[in-house]
Amino acid sequence: MPASVTVTGIGLVSPVGATAAEVFDAVCDGRSGLSRPPEGHPVHGVVDVAAIAPAIDPATVLPGPESRVVDRSIVMALRAAADALADAGLRVGRDVDPYRVAVVVSGVGGLSTLADQVLQRAGRGRFGVSPYLLPGTLPNMGAARIAIAFGIRGYTSSIGTACAAGAQSVGEGLRILRAGEADVVVAGCAEAPLFPTFADAFGNARALARGWADPTAASRPFDRRRNGLVLGEGAGVLVLERAAHAAARGARRHADVLGWGATNDAYHPTTPRPDGAGAAHCMRMAVRDAGLDLGDIGYVNAHGTSTKAGDAAELAALRAVYGAHPPPLSSTKGVTGHMLGVSGVIEAAIGVEALRRGLLPPTHNLDDPDPAGDVDHIRKTPRPSPVQAVLSNSFGFGGHNVSLVLSHPHPAP
Amino acid sequence: MTDEIRAFLLAALTEMKYDVEDVDDDTVFGPAGLDVDSLGLAELAVRVEDRFGVAFDDDEAEMLAMMTLGEFCHAVAQRIQPASAL
Repeated sequence: MPASVTVTGIGLVSPVGATAAEVFDAVCDGRSGLSRPPEGHPVHGVVDVAAIAPAIDPATVLPGPESRVVDRSIVMALRAAADALADAGLRVGRDVDPYRVAVVVSGVGGLSTLADQVLQRAGRGRFGVSPYLLPGTLPNMGAARIAIAFGIRGYTSSIGTACAAGAQSVGEGLRILRAGEADVVVAGCAEAPLFPTFADAFGNARALARGWADPTAASRPFDRRRNGLVLGEGAGVLVLERAAHAAARGARRHADVLGWGATNDAYHPTTPRPDGAGAAHCMRMAVRDAGLDLGDIGYVNAHGTSTKAGDAAELAALRAVYGAHPPPLSSTKGVTGHMLGVSGVIEAAIGVEALRRGLLPPTHNLDDPDPAGDVDHIRKTPRPSPVQAVLSNSFGFGGHNVSLVLSHPHPAP
Repeated sequence: MTDEIRAFLLAALTEMKYDVEDVDDDTVFGPAGLDVDSLGLAELAVRVEDRFGVAFDDDEAEMLAMMTLGEFCHAVAQRIQPASAL
């Protein structure tokens, strides 16, 4: 029996709140994080709608000189990590050996800052390029700077699996803790995609929602009128801990991470396999890894990005696993937008909150399910449920599929 | 010339978010003074190269850590001198 792994801390930077409770309330109340980018925002006039997180002054998380050429993704990662560690009541060095703490914090890296510097170089040659460019943008720097900021000396890494990266970081954390290689893992993701080149890449790929007079209507997972995703930004960090370690220091356990699965579609760089076979195998893997039966899953937090192809493939995958009657299902991206790799982390946090409250959050804007029929969508209002286990899906460009299984805290072994 | 260089350096350091309030010609760039780290010194060198058209090799950039502000101003001024004499 592998060691139980528990979530003791949650820190979020998001368009709809900084704690699991705030985000969950927003999702249940349909309080949308989607808006038209205001004048002065980098994607004003570039996209119709975006899910914008609150501004954070870099100087609040980094010493002055280092706070100038540093990507927003790194700043958000540091803030979420600080909040997660505070929520866990964990001080590295005091409560845990620094070499027994790992960091797996992911994301695509500081592409917006890189784009800026490319323009600077085009204008001014090498004098336009900051020596701080690399530490300010490399995709490992969220994890590295968290290690530096909190004195964490164990295993550190960053996973590059696009929109599956956050969920995969949690899964990797689970694996590290089960293997006994650490007592605590700081696991998460941060993404700052709201700059013109990146937004245009999604737009020109015809992946973005468009033509909505009301921006809050633009993200509508599984709805017949959905026409694309809404880009969002933010960060999510979980403090994962061996349950016995958490118990020994008297820490509160939010929920357990029971299992995970990861597969690849081996099909196309951006289009999901239409029959959902890769995702279906991934979900089965996660449930088996959790030591559960498929019937034990009381809620599925879908990846559901609000694209035609993605949502249809995910429903096909659920049918492949469950036949005609999958568990109650929702996608919370109707309210949060698609925060890329972060979505797997914020949705795990939503799963934690669903367990805690015995309440399943609805899919915002799901007026007319496509296809109509037997799938048990949670719509309009949250649904009370004695849910015991949650399955959370994340799928990324590249065909990456990751599923996590969460449950109520079980007694430590 | 030295005054111009000093003013430029103080402006650059301020822009780089260093506190220059108590800085004078005797302040060192290293930990005992401004505490500018290696990347900060590298950025300062690039800015001076850009502004004054001088060049530092890698060893010289490292030496900066040991210099005072006054010494650095002097070193830059000396390097500009031959060019402006042409």
